[in-house]
Amino acid sequence: MTDVQTRPAGAAAVRPVRLVDTDVHSAMTRAMMIERASTRWRPHFERFGLRTAPITEFYPRARNAGMRADSWPDAPGSIPGSDRELLVRQLLDEYDVDYAILNTLGLQDHNEVPAFAAELSRIVNDWVVEEWMAHDDRLRGAINVPHEYPDLAVREIERRRGDRRWVQVLLPSAAHDALGSSRYWPIYEAAAATGLPVAIHTGGLGTHQGTGWPSYYLEEHVSYALVMQHQLQSLVCEGVFETFPDLRVVLTEGGATWAASVGWTLDGAWSLLRDEVPHLRRAPSEYIRDQVWFTTQPLEEPDEPGQFLRAVQHGRLADRLLFATDYPHWDFDSPAQSLPGELSTEARAAILAGNACNLYGLPREREVAAP
Amino acid sequence: MIDCDVHCAPAALGALAPHLPEYWRLYIADAGIRLTGLPIAYPPGAPTTGGPAPADYEELRGRVLDGPDAPRLAILNCLTLFETHRNPYYAAAIATAVNDWLRAEWLERDDRLRASLVVSTLDVETAVAEIDRLGPDPRFVQVLLPVRADAPYGNRRYHPIHEAAVRHDLTVGIHAWGRAGTAATPTGFTSTYLQDLASNAQMAQAHVLSLVSEGAFARFPDLRVALIECGFTWLPPLLWRFDKDWKSVWREVPWVKERPSAYVRRHFRATTQPAALPADPVQAAEVVDMVGTGWLLHASDHPHVHGPGAERLWQALDEPGREAVLAGNAGAFYRLGG
Repeated sequence: MTDVQTRPAGAAAVRPVRLVDTDVHSAMTRAMMIERASTRWRPHFERFGLRTAPITEFYPRARNAGMRADSWPDAPGSIPGSDRELLVRQLLDEYDVDYAILNTLGLQDHNEVPAFAAELSRIVNDWVVEEWMAHDDRLRGAINVPHEYPDLAVREIERRRGDRRWVQVLLPSAAHDALGSSRYWPIYEAAAATGLPVAIHTGGLGTHQGTGWPSYYLEEHVSYALVMQHQLQSLVCEGVFETFPDLRVVLTEGGATWAASVGWTLDGAWSLLRDEVPHLRRAPSEYIRDQVWFTTQPLEEPDEPGQFLRAVQHGRLADRLLFATDYPHWDFDSPAQSLPGELSTEARAAILAGNACNLYGLPREREVAAP
Repeated sequence: MIDCDVHCAPAALGALAPHLPEYWRLYIADAGIRLTGLPIAYPPGAPTTGGPAPADYEELRGRVLDGPDAPRLAILNCLTLFETHRNPYYAAAIATAVNDWLRAEWLERDDRLRASLVVSTLDVETAVAEIDRLGPDPRFVQVLLPVRADAPYGNRRYHPIHEAAVRHDLTVGIHAWGRAGTAATPTGFTSTYLQDLASNAQMAQAHVLSLVSEGAFARFPDLRVALIECGFTWLPPLLWRFDKDWKSVWREVPWVKERPSAYVRRHFRATTQPAALPADPVQAAEVVDMVGTGWLLHASDHPHVHGPGAERLWQALDEPGREAVLAGNAGAFYRLGG
């Protein structure tokens, strides 16, 4: 508590923001969702439900259902991330997190009838407001949207826009079409107009075209980075960044140090093929540099930490990396241990909090109760 | 100098006719099948295409094999089979015809030429028979597979192909592009050639993950895999994550006894074209150092054109690095001798 400035007794103290966790998973069980469904959709939910098999059924997580072993709440039928008090204790209090962004996954694998998809997003977003953000002012939210129906997605963004605790719009890294497709542009337009970044989180309905389905979770997990690379290529080449210069995209849980290689690949090809993409007025890597952020977990770990620093320099990532724990998943990154020790104090502080404060407009100081 | 990726292709299916049984000659004539070249990979007139691939030996000699910069050895890759056909019997017949054409019209003409033998990936049994038929001919040095595939190449359905390649001391070459009917990305088709071109890099990485994770190198310790025309600067970040994940979930794949990077360093190589490198020479040298000069095989990719990368790579290499990339690595990896 050395950073807390002493104030007159009884008043709140103010401390600098030092740790922002940009990828935390609150999670609803199916039963919790049904309980919150409207009378119109509850019977549909109970009888038809969510038909698309979740990705965890395709590739069982090799350990403990993909969760931190200590993250299961005691209540029968509950799942990691469903219990606010446990999450607050294990993450926010344990690591003294100033702000945590809740990316509530689970709808990303599903492609339902349009109105039901909208209902599912409403259920999750209302739950995040009522059960999470209303109870702890360190919590921020990512807006779930029915992404396959952009008109309905825009409506959900409009509905939430007045509440500044929503800090981003959530999309999966695999959808029906490549995310650069003009089909999804209304979502980018609405997000940019509202000043909200779009977070593309690993997951969704990946169908493994191109090279076919792998066999093991190990392959699947590493290839999440490859899917993210494809989506970044799609967003750049289709002209999403050129068309929406205010759009900011956060590639979440897809790795980061490959950014330079993707930029060089696109720049090299673009130098020959720019007539094919006349809508791009700048080199592809410039759009990546200006409009794309990367969360850290799972951070690539070279044997020589100096190589990590090089990759950050090559990708111009120093002000683009956002720290994330990925609580409560098995590959949780501790803020105390996961960043390379060779990072300078300033670089570390930027990754842990400063970059996220800049991107999300979070206050640089936070009031805390007087000790 | 050894050139590990030189293209040749029959100008028309008629060139293969002497090597096809009557049934397939009639099939082709009746159906009016034409060789379209590789319109998805190198569209006519695209700046990357650089003109048609040499269609006969004299053309190749004039363009590549004469002159002071001629390679000591050149490996011919014919991608004619990388088309859309789904008839496995037709694909097998064309593979055999292409291989016989390569042997009769090219390898017989110049002892500096080596070739990849092509196989149909639709039917592993006939692919193995083809490898066994031609494997004893030392001029065939590689089995060529397209990077776009129905399943990643570590999948057990392909094990007999790897086994046959090892049996004849052949490298398995995974080459950019492939079936036009197969999307280039995990999430479907793209809308520009630029994206398709870039996507070869991710598809190559998926095969690397598969071959290591499925234990191909534990099963076939002598298996060697060349990644052709798919780039290479993606390697360091891939290995950093692959090793990290393996440390956590190795119990899913206990046959992967060593760190994934150890297998990748030992069993894979990548060709140099296209080289995705930065304009900054210091950064380019840093990247090449992280990839490792021992991992790279020189390739002109004639007749294709790939921009400034090759020159940046050349400038990034020191003298021993240049010698290794130009000839030493390929000589050892393909076991070309001298």
